[in-house]
Amino acid sequence: MPKRNLLVSLISILVVAFGLFLGNIIVGNTPSLGLDLQGGASVTMTPIGEYEEAALSVAVDIIRQRVDSIGVAEPEIIRQGDTVVVNLPGVKDQQQALDLIGRTGAVEMRPVLRTAENPENTTTTTGAKGATTTTVKGATSSTVAQSSTTLAPPSGGGGESRGRAVPQTTVPVATTVPGTDPETGLAPGQTVYAGQKDGLIYLLGPAGATGEVFTNEATAQIDAGGWAVSVNLRDGAAGEDQWNALAKQCFEGGEGCPSKQIAISLDGEVISAPVVQAPSFNGSVQITGSFTEKEANDLARILQFGAVPVKFDTPTVQTVSASLGEDSLKAALVSGLIGVLLVLLFLIFYYRLIALVVVAGLGVSGLLMWSVISWLSKTNGLALTLSGAAGIIVSIGVTVDSYVVFFEKLKDDVQAGRTMRNSAARGFDSAWRAIVVADTASLIGAGVLWWLTVGSVRGFAFFLGLSTLIDMFVSYFFTRPSVLLLARTKLFNNGKVLGVRGTSTAAEVA
Amino acid sequence: MSGRWQRLYRGETTINFYGRRNVGFIASGLLLFVTIVSLFAQGLNLGIDFKGGVAFEMSVNGKITVEEARSILEENKVEASGAKIQTLSSGADERIRIQLEVLEPKVEESVREDLATKVGIKAGDVSIEKVSATWGRGITRDAVQALLTFLVLVSLFIAWRFEARMAAGALAAVVHDVLISVGVYSITGLEVTPATVVAFLTILGFSLYDTIVVFDKVDENQKRFANTRVPYADIVNVSMNQTLMRSLNTTVAAVLPVLSLLVLGSGVFGAVALQEFALALLVGMATGAYSSIFIASPVLGLLKERSREYSALRGQVSIGADMAHVMATGTPQSRRARQVDNAASTDASIPTPVPAVEAILSHPPRPRKKSRR
Repeated sequence: MPKRNLLVSLISILVVAFGLFLGNIIVGNTPSLGLDLQGGASVTMTPIGEYEEAALSVAVDIIRQRVDSIGVAEPEIIRQGDTVVVNLPGVKDQQQALDLIGRTGAVEMRPVLRTAENPENTTTTTGAKGATTTTVKGATSSTVAQSSTTLAPPSGGGGESRGRAVPQTTVPVATTVPGTDPETGLAPGQTVYAGQKDGLIYLLGPAGATGEVFTNEATAQIDAGGWAVSVNLRDGAAGEDQWNALAKQCFEGGEGCPSKQIAISLDGEVISAPVVQAPSFNGSVQITGSFTEKEANDLARILQFGAVPVKFDTPTVQTVSASLGEDSLKAALVSGLIGVLLVLLFLIFYYRLIALVVVAGLGVSGLLMWSVISWLSKTNGLALTLSGAAGIIVSIGVTVDSYVVFFEKLKDDVQAGRTMRNSAARGFDSAWRAIVVADTASLIGAGVLWWLTVGSVRGFAFFLGLSTLIDMFVSYFFTRPSVLLLARTKLFNNGKVLGVRGTSTAAEVA
Repeated sequence: MSGRWQRLYRGETTINFYGRRNVGFIASGLLLFVTIVSLFAQGLNLGIDFKGGVAFEMSVNGKITVEEARSILEENKVEASGAKIQTLSSGADERIRIQLEVLEPKVEESVREDLATKVGIKAGDVSIEKVSATWGRGITRDAVQALLTFLVLVSLFIAWRFEARMAAGALAAVVHDVLISVGVYSITGLEVTPATVVAFLTILGFSLYDTIVVFDKVDENQKRFANTRVPYADIVNVSMNQTLMRSLNTTVAAVLPVLSLLVLGSGVFGAVALQEFALALLVGMATGAYSSIFIASPVLGLLKERSREYSALRGQVSIGADMAHVMATGTPQSRRARQVDNAASTDASIPTPVPAVEAILSHPPRPRKKSRR
């Protein structure tokens, strides 16, 4: 092995390790801590009964939105097969957490009684979830209903051919309640829901139908120049009849539904409030309006799975107090560091000068490990848990073993009379073989555990696997060049640096 | 440093491990027997994560005792006899943990409120851990499945990389370690938590790792001695003596951080969560190091001695200076020389004088030819 290659390898890994470390520091990535180290609540959920794969990911998205809405710092929502684990660091009251995520994603259709600008939030942002804002805009600016949301049977079955041509229907909405407080004069069965993002408050009547009236086929497509969502109705009393009763009520615009709008709400939040364009629908419903592609897709998804909301069971709930977590973290850190220090002292005592390579090697491993964990914390929501920390502490043993295997081979050879330089190359070859085989077995173990288990065992497996990979990487790209290069120096070409009398024995024989 | 220690330090030991295999087998047999008896007699103390249940945990604040907690349970008509109530002190904070079977949601809520009132905190500050019974069973099943898959895959890997008999030896050692670790938990009645499972798996991985490094040496020696009539017992002995220092050093290096976790982490800092974990690891690592020497290699030796290749030389073993000779030269002493030697020194643990340098280095080492690699 030419000297230049060794130097290149050594310098490269040092640059990579320090580069990654500094890079992460500059970007501001730090390892995020798991619940057991930080305190907080953790809820595991498993779906009950039959459900569709896609419905589960929608359910997870919905949960994520809810968790985000209460402003938990760095929530962690992990899907492990069918199981969904929700970690809420810093949340002390787990009842609140449970209530929040325990709700099923229920889609309801309610007649809109009145709409008003939310006095606290008059600046309307772009409607995130539908075209409800534009309903009012369309009314006040009285442009053609290009910007209003409308409901119509797709093939004009019964009503106007397309709802777009009737902007007047939306006018009463804005004029009935110009700026009045919608919370006054609530009739029984009426509820106020706020579509906060749209800056609108809706006063809604009793639910006329649930998401169950739709089949789970809803599509978003481009129709007459804009995005539209069409969804099919179920046959019979549970579907079409129920929906048509509501549609008829709203189309007539009577007392129960003066606005002629039907609000589609998910868990109480109004997603969209289209104006009804026909008294009865035959098999399918089309919702048009100035949707963006994303909005249309979101609405389609909600309608699709509102019909089959995944019901969750919460088999485990766990809270860790912050003080307990902090104690564990401090203890694990301090004792881990002291443990490493003891190991290094032992190695220096036993292997003398060459053990300095281990000190530097562990440093490089540490930098790499820190960088990878920080980076994954940022990008994949990985969190360092107590069992993960344990995996790392344990891996110190495995990492040090790579050096021990190497140095023992070195000692054997030097003792048998070979030169240090000669032994280093030979020793590494055979040590590397042992390291690869043993580490592969560890990796198989980590992989199997990661695939087949959930929770803490999985966290442990991940960190074990990670540290094993780093061990192999550092052994080859750091330990090998540094020992091989050192072995060429005069100082090291003497068994004494290893604590053996190797070369002198050979001299006696000769 | 002199005598035995120096030889150990310099890797010049000639301990007849294989000849004393029965010592290890009998010791392990006894331990396994005790484990099995204990498992049948009192089983394992499974935590709620495995069998389902509710656990309340809160600060004591100096206002509640175990008896008082028990009476609160009774007031709520909860079967208090099955409850596990313990106080945990972590740092300055003393906490109480009450572990129960699965409760009705209403009962659970009222117990929580009563406990909170007693201590004078909000109900939200009493942390609850809930695990349903089905989930617990599922977790246990998953863990066992993962374990079996792991063992099968690793055995296949060893069989492919080395040979099937080594896979058998490694498997025997790993199963031995897991059983004994489980036995320690059964006998002491320590609660089995997910952290314990993690510890068991670590032990398993560590034991396997250790065994593989030893087997790698055996494999190397097997090739080295392929052209000489060396009994397999010698190959095992030579390999184990050569890797002895590695095994000891690695064990020390692995145990030191764990020991620090146990003594400092849980002793000085009072992090209870770490204590049992570290304890399980410590026991397991010791067993792991022991089993790769006293179980894995002897089992391999027993199997290989009966193979066609080595059966002719079965029962022969070079000890003492003979072993040093085999180790250094790669050929056994002639039979006559061996008989004479055996009469002189029968036990390798008696410090025999280091063989003369000329005897070991009858063929001076030479750099390996380039063409061989």
